[in-house]
Amino acid sequence: MSSEIASVVAILLSIALISAISVALLTKSVSVSLITLFYASLILGIIFATYGGIVVGLVHVITFAGAISVMLLTVLLMTGESKLIIGSRQTAGALLVVSIPVIGAASYELLQGAFVINLPESSLSSLLQFLWEFRPWDLLILIMIFASSMIAIANLLSKTRS
Amino acid sequence: MFTILPSVQTIFIITATILVFIGIGSVSYSKNLIKTVMSFQVIVFGANLALFSSGLGGNSIDFMSQTFVLFSILVGASVEAVAFALIVVVHKKYGTLNPREIRRLRN
Repeated sequence: MSSEIASVVAILLSIALISAISVALLTKSVSVSLITLFYASLILGIIFATYGGIVVGLVHVITFAGAISVMLLTVLLMTGESKLIIGSRQTAGALLVVSIPVIGAASYELLQGAFVINLPESSLSSLLQFLWEFRPWDLLILIMIFASSMIAIANLLSKTRS
Repeated sequence: MFTILPSVQTIFIITATILVFIGIGSVSYSKNLIKTVMSFQVIVFGANLALFSSGLGGNSIDFMSQTFVLFSILVGASVEAVAFALIVVVHKKYGTLNPREIRRLRN
């Protein structure tokens, strides 16, 4: 695909990303922020996957649109800060209608790499091979960071501490 | 037709800069700790996009930049998980998530 089309697609995706994040941070309802931040995570995953980073896009969507969004929703419900009324039923229906094609397109893009604009040699195996051969310490450090964060969370939320 | 268009790398670096500034501004002015963590997430998004776009030049893929993006994603997720746990603890102790109110209650 030519570089002009790649630039136009990049501009469109950037506008969509900035719009979603602006809505997420400017709105007063935390639940609307959560939903728009979820969309922003999906758009950023699409950006990564479109420009050659399919693995990075997948990890980003799994981590931020999946785990972090669910964790955020749990925190909202635990603290009672959520006003989970989005509006009317029509608004909720419209959001659902918009969500299905966006999530479907994102899934198709991430799983198939259908619209990869450049760097066709980027593949799952090559990045993982690079990681395993040249950056094994990074993987070890990541495991240590995960373990330390889990220990910190367990300490913070333990009953003995409270 | 599109001769004056900037390169993809330039577009993404500008977008990442905008995201980081939006996030920093929102961290400064937010009155809810959950919104503060969301703003931190936006800053992480900007950093990830900047790291990713740094490897976009030329025709070959830069695995180093993608490795750094992976590292940044997972570290950011760990930090946010700890921040969420802290939010729950703070809400249990003070009953509010407004930083000014928490400061007033502490004093």
